[in-house]
Amino acid sequence: MSVAGEFVASGRAVLIKAGSFTLFTLRLARVAPALVLRRPGLVVEQVFNTGALSLVIIMMSGLFVGMVLALQGYDLLQRFGSTDALGSATGLALLEELGPVITALLFAGRAGTALTSEIGLMNATDQLSAMEMMAVDPVRRVCAPRFVGGVIAMPLLAAIFSMIGMFGAQLVGVTLKGVDAGQFWSQMRGSVDLKDVDQGIIKSLVFGLACSAIAVYEGYHAVPTAEGVGRATTRTVVTSSVAILILDYMLTAVLL
Amino acid sequence: MTDPSTAAPAAGPAPFVRLEGVGYEVAGRTIFDKLDITIARGRVTAVMGPSGTGKTTLLRLITGQIRPSRGRITVDGEDLALLDTDGLYRLRRGMGMLFQNGALLTDLDVYENVAFPLREHARLPEPLVARIVLMKLNTVGLRGAARLRPAELSGGMARRVALARAIVMDPKLLIYDEPFAGLDPIALGVVLRLIRDTNDALGLTSVVVSHDVQEISLLADYAYLLSGGGVVAAGTPAELARDASPVVHQFMGGLPDGPVAFDYPASDYAEQLLGAEVPA
Repeated sequence: MSVAGEFVASGRAVLIKAGSFTLFTLRLARVAPALVLRRPGLVVEQVFNTGALSLVIIMMSGLFVGMVLALQGYDLLQRFGSTDALGSATGLALLEELGPVITALLFAGRAGTALTSEIGLMNATDQLSAMEMMAVDPVRRVCAPRFVGGVIAMPLLAAIFSMIGMFGAQLVGVTLKGVDAGQFWSQMRGSVDLKDVDQGIIKSLVFGLACSAIAVYEGYHAVPTAEGVGRATTRTVVTSSVAILILDYMLTAVLL
Repeated sequence: MTDPSTAAPAAGPAPFVRLEGVGYEVAGRTIFDKLDITIARGRVTAVMGPSGTGKTTLLRLITGQIRPSRGRITVDGEDLALLDTDGLYRLRRGMGMLFQNGALLTDLDVYENVAFPLREHARLPEPLVARIVLMKLNTVGLRGAARLRPAELSGGMARRVALARAIVMDPKLLIYDEPFAGLDPIALGVVLRLIRDTNDALGLTSVVVSHDVQEISLLADYAYLLSGGGVVAAGTPAELARDASPVVHQFMGGLPDGPVAFDYPASDYAEQLLGAEVPA
């Protein structure tokens, strides 16, 4: 096949996959409201699996991201003699950008891969076929609760990440570098308003939608072999990470 | 032997499943050319054939998991081609299927696996669910294993749990995919007895896909032998055992030489070895 032919073929394959993903996500979105109302227990279980089980990694990362942010921020602000602004800088950076983005990247790596491999293995071991034979729609019973659970868990995790990050920034900025605690917190409270918090929430909700949909889609459509599930899991991390960064730019451009 | 083109347990009760002129192709390969099969109501019907003849594909066609390329399939009087997804799910509520590996849900224990269809389709009070589940588990002799996880079960136990789950909604049709594969003689005997007893006690229709000739001879009321994309023989196991046609004789006797090739087609053996030819 010529280079042009291969280019056309891969473009076609990308379009087909994008169409399939869109239809699958719409199907998830269609069954989600009824699921939340009728089977809230299934959703709560998945919020626990995707959210609570990711807490340690989110808190650890949040702490160190906040600490390094304060360290770098202090070094930079010191050059302009405005170290008092450290609280504003770290607060805004965490709430608007780093909280949602890094949480989503960690979510894709921890919860996203777990979702893909779980659903992929269920498919490989005929569990999804068995459900279909029991007249139970696997998309409704398996995929939708995990999708909704991920969407709910992401903003909660991002909020915890940002909160722990601020604590880490305070630890380095105030305790280690000697920035005045009153200045640190009052500057942060003065410069962060509800719009900034909203921006973080909107971003993490969109990232939650994207990451959960990608993870569930890849698991459900994984080739039912060990290699197929492995490849699907890799695709989940790669696609989610790229999607997060692209969506982040688009959302920032709109919301700023 | 009955002529496969007209094969049907005609003297028996009305058919539960009927395949008429069914063809199925996938990725340019013909799995079935023209398949005519009748599954009689209330009987245990076996579908046998060498590996790769499409026995599991046949089950997927009967259950509507895949659509035939041509021909007509009716189950309990309903044409599968005319059913949408909801219609298929409604029909499947009257079916139970036992997968080769059991296909138990690995995040649920034995009790919850058996209770799963009840919880999904019926809003029953918990004491009633418990009674039904325990009765079905008792039927397969695993009432005491209710709280074990699927990973803690042997292959035979997993299949018995799957059988309990398959009958928990009291289906009219029960389908078994290779129920004897990999079982030790005791488990095999138990599963064999369970299939027969379940069919007779509950008044079901059973379809058993297998290539275990001896077990099928003991179990089935009627059997079809598939090969080369169609039915090559049909009749009672005793009739098939007496059949002298080469394909049936080779399969029923477990003979390596005959019309069904054991070796996959390949280039000349000596030439390939002497030329150290790497398979393309």
